This record gives sequence, C-alpha cells and structure tokens, in this order.
Amino acid sequence: MTYDLLSVYPAKLLEYGLAIGYLLLFIPFWRYLEGGRPAPARAPRRAAAAVGQAGHRGWFRLPAGLHVHPGHTWARLDGDGLVTVGLDDFASKLLGPLAVKVPAVGVPVAQGEAALEASDGRRSVRLAAPVEGTVVEVNDGAGAAHADPYGAGWLFRVRAPRLGSNLRQLLSGSAALRLLEDASEELARRMNPELGVVLQDGGAPVSGIARTLAGDGWDTLARGFFLT
Amino acid sequence: MADTLVPTAPSFLREKVLLGMSPREYVRSVVTPFNVAAALILAVGLPVLFLRFTKGLGAVTNLSQSAPWGLWIGFDMMTGIVLAAGGFTIGATVQIFGLERYHAIERPAILTAFLGYVMAVCGLLADLGRPWNIVQAIFHYGTASVLFEVAWCVMCYSAVLFFEFTIPFLEWLGYRRMVRPLRKALIALTVLSVIFSTMHQSALGSLFLIMPTKLHPLWYSPYIFVLFFVSAVIAGICMVIVESTVSHKVFASQLHGQPVDVEALTLGLGKAGALVTFAYFFLKLQGVVDGHAWHHLATGWGAWFGVEVVGFVLVPSLLFAWGARNRSVRAVRVAALLGILGIVLNRLNVSVVALNWQAPHRYVPSWMEVMVSVTLVTIGVLAFRWIVNRMPILRQAPAQDGAEGSRP
Repeated sequence: MTYDLLSVYPAKLLEYGLAIGYLLLFIPFWRYLEGGRPAPARAPRRAAAAVGQAGHRGWFRLPAGLHVHPGHTWARLDGDGLVTVGLDDFASKLLGPLAVKVPAVGVPVAQGEAALEASDGRRSVRLAAPVEGTVVEVNDGAGAAHADPYGAGWLFRVRAPRLGSNLRQLLSGSAALRLLEDASEELARRMNPELGVVLQDGGAPVSGIARTLAGDGWDTLARGFFLT
Repeated sequence: MADTLVPTAPSFLREKVLLGMSPREYVRSVVTPFNVAAALILAVGLPVLFLRFTKGLGAVTNLSQSAPWGLWIGFDMMTGIVLAAGGFTIGATVQIFGLERYHAIERPAILTAFLGYVMAVCGLLADLGRPWNIVQAIFHYGTASVLFEVAWCVMCYSAVLFFEFTIPFLEWLGYRRMVRPLRKALIALTVLSVIFSTMHQSALGSLFLIMPTKLHPLWYSPYIFVLFFVSAVIAGICMVIVESTVSHKVFASQLHGQPVDVEALTLGLGKAGALVTFAYFFLKLQGVVDGHAWHHLATGWGAWFGVEVVGFVLVPSLLFAWGARNRSVRAVRVAALLGILGIVLNRLNVSVVALNWQAPHRYVPSWMEVMVSVTLVTIGVLAFRWIVNRMPILRQAPAQDGAEGSRP
C-alpha cells in the first residue's frame, strides 16, 4: 500500500465527503426515527367496564372494572377513550385527608413514574401514574379523594396512546383484590409484628394509618407501599 | 396453644436452594429435555477441558506458532466480553443518565455481564499456555503493553461486577443490613464499571494496533479501538433486548403483578440501537477510506466485509429505526438478534478470520475447541437460570421493613 502524496488527496476527499454525507443523512434518519406517530390506542378486547359492585379483601374495598397499579393508584377506561385515574381505598386510608397535588393539563405522565404528590405541608410522598399518556382533565373536586376515592374523588383523566400495553402491567379482578389483601396483612404485621392478623381484629382501620403507625415518619412508611 | 402460632423455621436448603421442594422432588423436576441436552454437552466438554489442562494446548487445539489466536480468543474472550457490555450500558442509562424506567432490566443485564466475564476468564485460562502466570500482571507492571491494560481492566471490572451482583446475592440470603451500604455505593460502582469497561472494550481493539500487517486492511484501522467501543455499546443494547425478551418469557411467573412494560423498554432501546448502529456503519466505512483499502472491496474479502457491514450493521440499523417508528416490537427484536450476530461476526473476523489473512495455511478450530466454547456458554446459561430462579434478579426482593424498596 502506497501513501504517496497524490493518493492522500482523494483519500482525504473521501473521508470528508463521508463525514459530511453521514451528517446530511443523519438529519432525515433522525426525523424519520422521531416522526413516528404515537400508536393508536390499542383498545382492550373487552369493552370498557363500568365500575361495578365493590369487592372487599382485607380491610379495603375495590369496585369491579378498575385496573390497579401496584403503587395503589387505579385506572378506569371511560367510554370516550380516555382513562380516569385515582387513588385506591388503601392509599386513601393510608394517607388520610392530605392534600393531593395532581399534574396540570397537558403534562405527560409515564406508567410507574411519580405523577401525584400527597403532602401535609412539611413532608410529602409521591405516587405513580398507572398508565402512560397526557393529562387532559383535572378534577377540581380532588379533595374528595379521601372520602370517595373511586367516585367523586377521581384525580385526573389522560389520553393514553399505549393503553393495551399499559393494561397488561396492571392488576384487575382477583389479582387486584389480592394486592389489597397483601397490603392489609402488611399493615397488620406492623400493628402487631408477632401475631399478624388474628380473629380479634375486627372493624376497619382508622383514616391516616401512616401517621398513626409511624408518626412523623409517615412519608417513609407510605413510600414503601407506593413503590416511589 | 402458643406453640402453634410460632411458624417452624424453614430449612435454608429447602427454601433457598431446592425452591421449596424435597430433594427427591427437586431431582425429579430437573429432568427436562433442556437439562438432558446440557448434561450431554458438559459430559463431553468438561473432559476435554481436563485434557487441555493435563496434556496441554497441542492435545486439543489446532493452534500453532503461526496461528496462536483461535476460537477461544475470538469467541470466548472477544465475543464473550463484548456481549457482556449490557451491564455498563444499562447501568449507565439508569444510574448515571437517570432513565429510571430501565431499572427493571438493570439487574439481569448486570448478571449477564458478570457471568459473561467469568466465562470469558475461564476461556482465557484455557487459552493461555501457562495459565498460572496470569497473576504476574498483578506484581509486574508492564505499562507499555496493551495486554497490561487488558489484564487490569478485566480484573477491576470483574471485581466491580462481583460487588454489583453481591446486592441480590445478599438479599437472597436475607442479609439486608449488609445490602444498604452496597446500595448506597451503587452509583460509584456504576461509574467505575463504565470507566473500566470502556477502557477494556477499547483496549481489546488496541491489541490489533500492533499488528497492522497481519490484520486484513478492510478490518484494520488506526481507530480500531473506537470501533471496538462503539460496537460494544451496540452489543450491550442488542443483548439487553434479546436477554430481557427471553427472560420475560422463560421466567414469566416471577414477574406476575410487577409493573414492567418490557415492550416499551424494547422500543426505547430500539431507538438507541438505530442511532448507534447508523453511526457505527459510517465509522466502519471511514476506517476503509482512512486505510486506503477500498480496492479490496472488489475481492472476496470485500464481499465478506460487505456481508458484515451491510447485512449485520446497516440492515439492523434500518430495522431498528423502522421498528421504533412504527412501534413494532418484533422488528426491534429481530434487529437486535441481527445486531448480536453482526458483533459476533466482527469479533471473529478481526481476531480469527481476517487475521494472518495472507498465511498459506489457514487456522480451522478443532472439534474439541468448539466443544469447550459450547460448554462454557452452556455453563453460563445454566448459572443464569439457577440464579434467576432463586435470587431477586427479575422480581423484587421481599421488603422486610416496608419502608425500603428493592433497588439494585
């Protein structure tokens, strides 16, 4: 191989040409890669289920037709293709009447990533969004999340482009009830570490369980349950 | 009465090792077609390894003075190390770049990297004429040698991967107090793993800088260490896609109820894969131009180079892009598979096929060399499965104090 003076110029010309060619081709390549439209909402095969009769498991109730994230937020499919999001009964009772900060309209949320924030003014804890999408409506009456978490206390609605895929990661039916039952048992262990749930444990737990159990460390306790 | 409330302490062997089964049940459960095939491979491969260490390299390999590097360097070492790049790629993505959604595939990636390195070191020990001298690198500092850098990077990165793997291992044993300081040190470990693996991947490429006349000009470039590093990132992305796909199918029962959207992660990785392979394609071409090697493109070597660069770099890049744009998870997975094959092909080309390309006698590995490589891969797969079935790699570690998540 000869590296004489004359052969250097065409080689350098090719090198620079290649580098410029790469940059010129990278622009349409990037635009192509980024330009994909969001996938159409893959509607679940079953029709959007209306919130049905409440089921009980442990101390907490859960209406039928909801899809629950392990971080204790729920998603409900509405007839207009949007998804309503709220806290489940466990999260509601664990936190008690705390102010819940919701994302503003137009803000994107991602499944499993923090989207909500409950605060007592000094400490706060975040909760995950159950589905991915963009917030299109916020409930002005979200203050009712504590009193009626599955009804008037819904928090926000999202347009979810990857609904089918998102729903596969959520729990529904008996699996969702099992989540609440596990949470009940975990709480029982904390109340009485030696015995767990015993027959004498009747009634429902008080509201604001986290503060009752952990005092000022309520946020740390809640964070463990909310996976944030 | 009080006695009945106290649960019997579970046996460590039964609960942790035998998956809750009695020894007889466990033995019965492991008799599967896959395990029988694996046992047959080990039954042939382990005696061959024994033969290599008792009778020497000449008894089992086709290596010679003119072809000192064979399959064990080309596949076990070069390919094993590059396919272990998922550990630092995903570790950096989560811990350094803060893309938390990839956290779910971080532990399997780190485990794959750890086992990949262990198996590569085993392959290296088999390949070294005097393997006991490997420790000399610790005591004698040949700082002018690229192999010195390679040796130290292997040692340091293997140690870092071991510490990263220690976290799920200790969680499995239930030593949660010992896990806490390691968890806090994880970001430091990740930074170290990125440094050492970057140096190691590129140093493996630098080995070829001292043999410009032995390596075919289409593959040789003065920037070969850059090509090695960039292709390691590609291998890391592709391996994580394929490994997470297989793991989430094979170990689906461990993922029940966990909010892991593998398809979304796959599409995200596919986009990254498209960009890196696209850049790598042009870097490969730049290497040809820079080495004035374009006249070789019209030869048989050029056709083979074209197969590697077009078939296993450009095509996966375009397929990654198409899949990511159209949200086709299947296309991204096929592209990842092609990408892995491409990287394997590249490492074999550089270290075996295109090395000593003008030699009158070509090296062809013996069946025993192939068998040792297959045996090491089999041991790696079996170890991965054994660990994933027991330790919190894919599933969350059971929280004991509730206030603590199970970060890696």
